[in-house]
Amino acid sequence: MQTKDDVLSQVTETIREVVGEEWILDESIEMATSFGDDLELESIEFVALAEALQAVYGEGLDFVKWLSSKELDDIIELTVGDVVEFILACLD
Amino acid sequence: MPRLDAHGVELHYQTLGNGPDVVMLHGLITGSLASWYYTLAPLVASDHRVTLYDMRGHGLSQKTATGYDSETLCRDLDAVVNQTCSDRFCLVGQSYGALVALRYALKYPDRVSQLILVELPLPPSQAGDLEALLDGGAESVLAALPQNGQHLMGGGGRGRRFRRFCESIRFFADDSTLRHDLDVEPDIDETALASLDVPTLAIYGDQSSCLPTLDRLAAHVTDLKTQTLNGGHYLHLDALEPLSVAVRGFLNG
Repeated sequence: MQTKDDVLSQVTETIREVVGEEWILDESIEMATSFGDDLELESIEFVALAEALQAVYGEGLDFVKWLSSKELDDIIELTVGDVVEFILACLD
Repeated sequence: MPRLDAHGVELHYQTLGNGPDVVMLHGLITGSLASWYYTLAPLVASDHRVTLYDMRGHGLSQKTATGYDSETLCRDLDAVVNQTCSDRFCLVGQSYGALVALRYALKYPDRVSQLILVELPLPPSQAGDLEALLDGGAESVLAALPQNGQHLMGGGGRGRRFRRFCESIRFFADDSTLRHDLDVEPDIDETALASLDVPTLAIYGDQSSCLPTLDRLAAHVTDLKTQTLNGGHYLHLDALEPLSVAVRGFLNG
């Protein structure tokens, strides 16, 4: 059974891998951290993050279906916590 | 990360959903598979298998100095569909992605079940704006995008996204043949347009500089449906809902 902290720590580690720059190692990544304004992930980096998380958690993680229910403006504002909650709901 | 080899060039791709194959091609310079991933692709993937890929030099694909002419990009597309799709598929392209899709459909009509051209510039020099934008640097390229696109590509207080955006513009403008390739890109003439043997939908924004192409297509392409939407060149950003209705209606109709 994965806890919220397990998933947050996995998501954090994956973000650091995807970004692959030095500053991200010291960056505090929390549930409220946003991909847009805080981390400034490029849109293609968020795709890479989704691919990497899918490789960890399996095909049950349907990012595309999840994104299809959102407006572009909502996607821009997504937080780390939104992704963690989404993964927890898929693992449930 | 899923990658495939297109005659020696490594391309990043994604497949989404299940159903008949649809391949979506993004526009040059500001485009990547993310252009579709966050917009039209998830909506189409509800009843199709959608293949998206980063064209060479874009997104997470290999940064090549050369090969931004539509003939080379068409060969890249052929390598992609041969590795990801069944024998027949629908092609959806925006801007230069639409030019590549059209060239492919003219060359391999038996493989393309339907063709959807979003904001095709024809003659290709109609995308001359693109070169003027490159001359103006990253700020002018960014300013040409709709508000949500500007935020997505260049927003954020730290300036990281904007810095990386500038780097990618500099790469295309100074370290690749893209500008030259666009300069010498040949037109597709009336005879070729009249020979197009694939059911085609052409979609344009009513505020786009590419709109005159619509009349030219309508005069020469026989199996053509057309649609004009309220918006500019980046319809997936400023008219997603009507774009999705038009595309899905054509695919399923």
